[in-house]
Amino acid sequence: MKIIEKIKLFNFKRFSNFEVQFTEEVNLLIGDNEAGKSSLLTAIELVLSGSKSKIDSIGIDNLFNKQIINEFLVSDKSIANLPTLRIELYLNEQNNPHLNGKVNSEGVACDGLVLTCEPNEELTHEISEVLAQEKSNFPYEYYVVNFATFSGQAYSGYRKFLKFLALDSSQINNDYATREYIKAVYDNFVEQTARIKLKNEYRQQKVAFKETNLKSINDKLDEYQFSIRSSTKSNLETDLNIVEDDVPIENKGKGRQCFIKTEFALREHDADKPLDVLLLEEPENHLSHTNMKRLVHRISESHAKQIFVATHNSLISTRLNLRNSILLNSSSPEPLTMTDLPEDTAKFFMKAPDNNVLEFILSAKVILVEGDAEYILLDSFYSLVTGSSLEADDIHVISVGGTSFKRYLDIAKVLGIRTAVIRDNDGDYQTNCIDSYLGYVADNIGIFYDAVNTSSTFEICLYDLNQDACDELWLADRKTLSVQEYMLKNKADCAFELLDKKADQIIIPDYIERAFQWINE
Amino acid sequence: MDKRVVFAVAGSGKTSHIINGLESDSKTLILTYTDNNLSNLKHRILQKFGEIPSGIKVYSYFQFVYSFCFRPLYGHELKTKGINWHVPPFNTLKMKRNDPRFYIDSHSRLYSNRIAKLIEQLGINDEVIKRIEKYFDSICVDEVQDFAGHDFNFLLSIFPANISQLFVGDFYQHTFDTSRDGNVNKSLHDCYDKYKAKFTKVGYVVDEELLSKSHRCSPIVCSFVSENLSIHIDSHRSDQTNIEFIECKNQAIEIMSCPDTAKLFYQDSRKYKGYTENWGATKGLDCFENICIILNPTTLKLFENGKLEELKPQTKNKLYVACTRAKHNIYFIPEKLIKYMKN
Repeated sequence: MKIIEKIKLFNFKRFSNFEVQFTEEVNLLIGDNEAGKSSLLTAIELVLSGSKSKIDSIGIDNLFNKQIINEFLVSDKSIANLPTLRIELYLNEQNNPHLNGKVNSEGVACDGLVLTCEPNEELTHEISEVLAQEKSNFPYEYYVVNFATFSGQAYSGYRKFLKFLALDSSQINNDYATREYIKAVYDNFVEQTARIKLKNEYRQQKVAFKETNLKSINDKLDEYQFSIRSSTKSNLETDLNIVEDDVPIENKGKGRQCFIKTEFALREHDADKPLDVLLLEEPENHLSHTNMKRLVHRISESHAKQIFVATHNSLISTRLNLRNSILLNSSSPEPLTMTDLPEDTAKFFMKAPDNNVLEFILSAKVILVEGDAEYILLDSFYSLVTGSSLEADDIHVISVGGTSFKRYLDIAKVLGIRTAVIRDNDGDYQTNCIDSYLGYVADNIGIFYDAVNTSSTFEICLYDLNQDACDELWLADRKTLSVQEYMLKNKADCAFELLDKKADQIIIPDYIERAFQWINE
Repeated sequence: MDKRVVFAVAGSGKTSHIINGLESDSKTLILTYTDNNLSNLKHRILQKFGEIPSGIKVYSYFQFVYSFCFRPLYGHELKTKGINWHVPPFNTLKMKRNDPRFYIDSHSRLYSNRIAKLIEQLGINDEVIKRIEKYFDSICVDEVQDFAGHDFNFLLSIFPANISQLFVGDFYQHTFDTSRDGNVNKSLHDCYDKYKAKFTKVGYVVDEELLSKSHRCSPIVCSFVSENLSIHIDSHRSDQTNIEFIECKNQAIEIMSCPDTAKLFYQDSRKYKGYTENWGATKGLDCFENICIILNPTTLKLFENGKLEELKPQTKNKLYVACTRAKHNIYFIPEKLIKYMKN
């Protein structure tokens, strides 16, 4: 099996110096917008493709790290300090001396591929002239792109060391992307010798069509005749399409297209020459919930290929095992991997109801609450206490729906997310709120509860502090239940009504205020 | 591990011996120097397996020493842009051997004749050996007699590699050198016995039996070579062929115009039309039935006096190569008879 073990990026897109290890099966790239998920997929694709034209079509200026370029332009602009872009893919042992050597940034003999983009040394004179200009002019056009193995040997797209396929569902209706996709799939399914044979046979068919079907028309003409086009723009590979029940995929809905393309790519078509690497960009796009579940199922069942998935979707990331996640963060240059997450917690999220775990992972500060009542009230509580808002302070509130806080705290421990747990003491704060969390004592974790055992739930605390307001709202209609009992039976509705009608006069439980203070420390 | 140098005679099946030792799952490194032989070896492997099995790598010597040894192991420290095939400027010989300019020209290219020396100077021989051991169980070097200069030393430095080693060559077919540099191994090919001793001293077994008989050349060609050139060669065959000295101009013209008979010249064969080649350039080729050897005045004189063995060693070797191309007849034609055909 061919595996990309590690990638190193230098001055590529938002990464000035970046490195991340991959697992050999699924790698989930998660992160906020602009965190670099797609860039990472692009980087892998560019190196594996060995295609200079692909780089030209994106433009070197769009691949370079902007900050490095700007730093260079405000420096003394010495030609010797011109930045170089490098992408290195470290592979597992390939038993191929052409791939092996020390020509990489680590200087250690191993297998791998590297893309470099550096100033053309033949044109140093011209580059100096550009740099001498007053204006901030970066000499992108004088850069050359090289693909080489770690043995120092150059390679191009004709020589692919790993078979790969890239699928970008945001490009789903793009003609060019669809053609590229079909070609890539076809290349992977059909051996080169067979492809050449088929191409030849297709052309013969065209000739035959001209000589039979068009004959009667052509016979009436003399020197100028009708024929069928046959060229690089018109041959078997340009005319191929993929159909489902005789409907071409481009005529299907976007969702179906996404699904078909991904599923088709995942198919184990040839045991001898399987696809080595599959790159999936936001596969959740355009997919309904059920289709997404089916797709996730297909991905998790697929073997013998390394899969890279960039996603925003909690379902995809939890179902494909959170431990495979690589968290990219626009504020930190280092990727965070979640391999240290306890296995049972990863499994818990795989099975747990659809949840907001990705939201949690992508946040810096989170307040976890037990249920909907707390969730509904917390926003206004926060504003009352701090005079600010949760959004403004970048704090996320997540309703855990029960007391599975520890699962989230496992993640918080791995990722260093500042997490406040607001929970009921359920009649025994020592057992439920202190002893139970001994394994989670950390600077970034705080447990907040009412330290009076009789105030066992949020509703009781709330009623105790806001008796007048609550009685005013609900006492009149009570026949058998007390107001407090009513509140306990209708937690979310009461919370909503309280917020709706008495927001300005609520007294907030002390432990919640403490949680607010702590989260902003 | 068998580490053996087999000295062979022309047409005894050197290449076949190497090819016969290969299996589809072999992990074998095959090295040779000339492009002719490189493509011949690849061709023979393709014939045998229908493809070049992934474990078998056929490299030309310089491809090996630069792309397999130097660049993967030191390319990250020293960026080079290929090989400079010219003789390095004379003044570089006076430089210290740790001066980069001894090895690298102003365009960052390595001087071809000093790559082997550079590897020694960098002290990465051990790493080269490890790298060879990593990928291969055996190494075959064809036309080993071509190795000269630093390259010969480099070749012997592979000895410690714990893989089976088979070097095959014909001392008297030494017509090219991989490279030369000043006085390094300058007299290497002057004496066959001393040459053999170089290998035995390092630890190689020298084998002069295995390939001592020619399949290609008939007994009469073999005895001609043995008697006139003092190069011992036996034949596996027993059939009769002819060696003819042509003195009649008409007969000479007839042979010259025969499209199936190769005309072999000491040099400048391109100046004659038709199926012509230089003696030295036919090395490794096995496609001639009858050949015609053109004798220039110097060679003609020695030929007539039965003193061909007095030719300069280099010339004698080339003539040996030329004579041993013939599967059938050899015609010797004095150059003066056909000189008027020269363009």
